[in-house]
Amino acid sequence: MIEPSKAYTVTIIDTKAGNIFSLKACLQRLGCEVMVAKTPAQVVGDRLIIPGQGHFGSVMQQLTTEGWLNFLNQWKSDDKYLLGICVGMQVFFEQSEESPGVLGLGWLDGKVKKLNSPKQPMVGWSSCQFSTASFESGMPYFVNSYAIKESQQCIATTSYGETFCAAVKLNNLVGFQFHPEKSSHYGSKLVAQALNLS
Amino acid sequence: MIKNTRASKPQIGDDTNLLTARIIPCLDVDNGRVVKGTNFVNLRDMGDPVELAMQYECQGADEIVFLDISASSENRPTALANVTRIAQQLSIPFTVGGGLKSLADVQAFLDAGADKVALNTTAVTHPEIIEQVAKSYGSQCVVVAVDVNKPSQDSSPQLYIHGGRTLVNKDFNQWVNEIQQRGAGEILLTCMHRDGTGLGFDNELTGEIAKNAKIQVIASGGAKNEQHFLEAFRHGADACLAAGMFHSGEYRIDQVKQFLADNGVKVRI
Repeated sequence: MIEPSKAYTVTIIDTKAGNIFSLKACLQRLGCEVMVAKTPAQVVGDRLIIPGQGHFGSVMQQLTTEGWLNFLNQWKSDDKYLLGICVGMQVFFEQSEESPGVLGLGWLDGKVKKLNSPKQPMVGWSSCQFSTASFESGMPYFVNSYAIKESQQCIATTSYGETFCAAVKLNNLVGFQFHPEKSSHYGSKLVAQALNLS
Repeated sequence: MIKNTRASKPQIGDDTNLLTARIIPCLDVDNGRVVKGTNFVNLRDMGDPVELAMQYECQGADEIVFLDISASSENRPTALANVTRIAQQLSIPFTVGGGLKSLADVQAFLDAGADKVALNTTAVTHPEIIEQVAKSYGSQCVVVAVDVNKPSQDSSPQLYIHGGRTLVNKDFNQWVNEIQQRGAGEILLTCMHRDGTGLGFDNELTGEIAKNAKIQVIASGGAKNEQHFLEAFRHGADACLAAGMFHSGEYRIDQVKQFLADNGVKVRI
């Protein structure tokens, strides 16, 4: 049973790349108020999410065009809660093979690369062991063709053809390569842990 | 930058494949009710789609597939409303299909709450839609459903569209290759000659396709017991879809998964 949070407001950045229905539903079930922000001016509260829709290039383009870069750099300096999901995690890094020539936020060292998997995209549930007690280990849902193979901020890995980084953490910055909003109750717990919703 | 010191490296072991086999219940929905038929005909009412979807998530389903088999334009608003009702209750992936004809239809179902769309007839008649959806929403959003029939074991596979009613003059194997080239994320392969018969999946055909494909292949058609799932996974299916055996209440998904785990198949429990 997941403890409902004290009605925190969580803002999801609208990267105009797809469906955030599942993510909104997940947050609402956790008792949160949800805002969807096209621009930084629309952000409410101290908890922000870059959702897992679109490609590296399209997400960075939206973040740039709508004036998010300075805002996000400040947010990170202030060490406020920021969760990146799937491509939302990948943009924390420098670059991605998915979108050559496009620069990421560059907060974490490394380049996102194509996954050497038996099938592409990787689709399904896969075991993650977290190396920190901040998160419960379990089996979340992945759907990706690109991944971070190694990172100093890696706190969980999984394997499909090769081992890659399933999650990263740097203070209150958290990235999940998997989709916690599609990972049943376990995924909801991880969102609550990432955003400190208790 | 503060270095995040890790007390110990995550223990994964030598296994380079931790991806589990998926069990996917399918809701064929007609007029707001889940139905079941044999070989695509003679439909029986099996229950409310929202109730069944929630039940399956509780039982450990890895995904839910919802197919609007009425697939007519009058029924579209009802189908969309049901998709939303289900999506609001689910926290596992949700694929929706049934008569999607255009990018606008795909958008409508995704907006209604679907995570992925299944395309069948339209993919065959207008295959460029596969690329269009993959480009707009990502490959992972596109499942191409293929209805194949083999009247006898020796006959060559025949491709069908329009809910299994129209034979298509297109080579089945070439179509499977084309689907991958055009950027689909997964193939849902339904063997019509097994569908609703309870004789088990056609593992020879499905296994061959699954082992050669570069994308995941979901086996469908004929499952009636846990052993059928075991055989399908042993033959190479990445995921298995079933309907009647779960809708009837005869089998629970957690029960099937435990059986699979006991027999060495990696599943999410």
